[in-house]
Amino acid sequence: MIREDDTTPAARGPGEPLPQPPHSFWGAARRDLRLGVLSGLRTFLELAKVMIPAYGITLVLDRLGVIARLAGVARPLMQVLGLPGDAAVPLVVGYVLNIYAAVGSMQALDLTMRQITVLAVAILIGHNLVVEGAVLHKAGMNGFAFGALRIVAGLVAAIIADLLMGAVS
Amino acid sequence: MTGLAREFLVGSFDLLWRVFLIVVPIMVVLELLEPTRAFRALVRAWARVVRHVGLDERSAAPTLIGFLFGLAYGGGVIVRDVRRHDLGRRQVFIMSVFLSMVHAVVEDTLIFLALGASIFWLLAYRIVWAALVTVTLTALATHWLRRRRTGLPPPGAGAAR
Repeated sequence: MIREDDTTPAARGPGEPLPQPPHSFWGAARRDLRLGVLSGLRTFLELAKVMIPAYGITLVLDRLGVIARLAGVARPLMQVLGLPGDAAVPLVVGYVLNIYAAVGSMQALDLTMRQITVLAVAILIGHNLVVEGAVLHKAGMNGFAFGALRIVAGLVAAIIADLLMGAVS
Repeated sequence: MTGLAREFLVGSFDLLWRVFLIVVPIMVVLELLEPTRAFRALVRAWARVVRHVGLDERSAAPTLIGFLFGLAYGGGVIVRDVRRHDLGRRQVFIMSVFLSMVHAVVEDTLIFLALGASIFWLLAYRIVWAALVTVTLTALATHWLRRRRTGLPPPGAGAAR
């Protein structure tokens, strides 16, 4: 058995190396299992602390009609992507909520394969920005800056993809 | 308003349960796999690929997990390794940009493939795009940092952003 105090991740400083594993196979496996469960629970709690408020914010944004209003703003932009104006709804739904919600609202639209692919590129790069931004924030980055980056880079990637697909076909 | 509170409670529980079901097994499996030779070989092979966008070997494992499973689920590993290995802001920045552009390639790609989108654009194009954006932004951030504090620091030694 290993003592509690030197194996719990919480007891270790950031720079200190991991404790030496015991020599027996089962001892090592048991230590790894324990370490895994502990760090799993710990990261789960840390993620929960940022994800739940972020989720609450997205719900309120949805209820206040922010998604609908943003989709209205994004409508004219859809033309650049070769998409109908209504495609702004799944895009913004994806930004604020998540991929599943975006796919759900894509079902309501009548899109060609090419349009689906272009929209998919934009949504795959930018989605779930509030919750994932909170995770990036936890890692020490600016969640807002990364949200903006993902929206812009996703749209540019989608435009380039649309142009390239037009050039090929 | 009670409807919203209800939705928040149910949704929070659903989100937590999903994250729990994925994060804890990933951490346990990772902790068991990390000392094995096969896993280290895989990480080394992956490290040789992501070296081209400026990521070092210690950042390779969390990047691989985020690449495969996503920011929400891989985020746990990223947060853990940033602390455990003291990765430094430059590495965290590069990793965040790269993963922002391409992550959860298994789950997210499959969803859109099911809708009929083409796999080339969802995967190959997205990975190339991610590499381009990462290299460009890292170069810009390094350049901007060096100009701001004149004479400091040499590329690769300082922290980006």
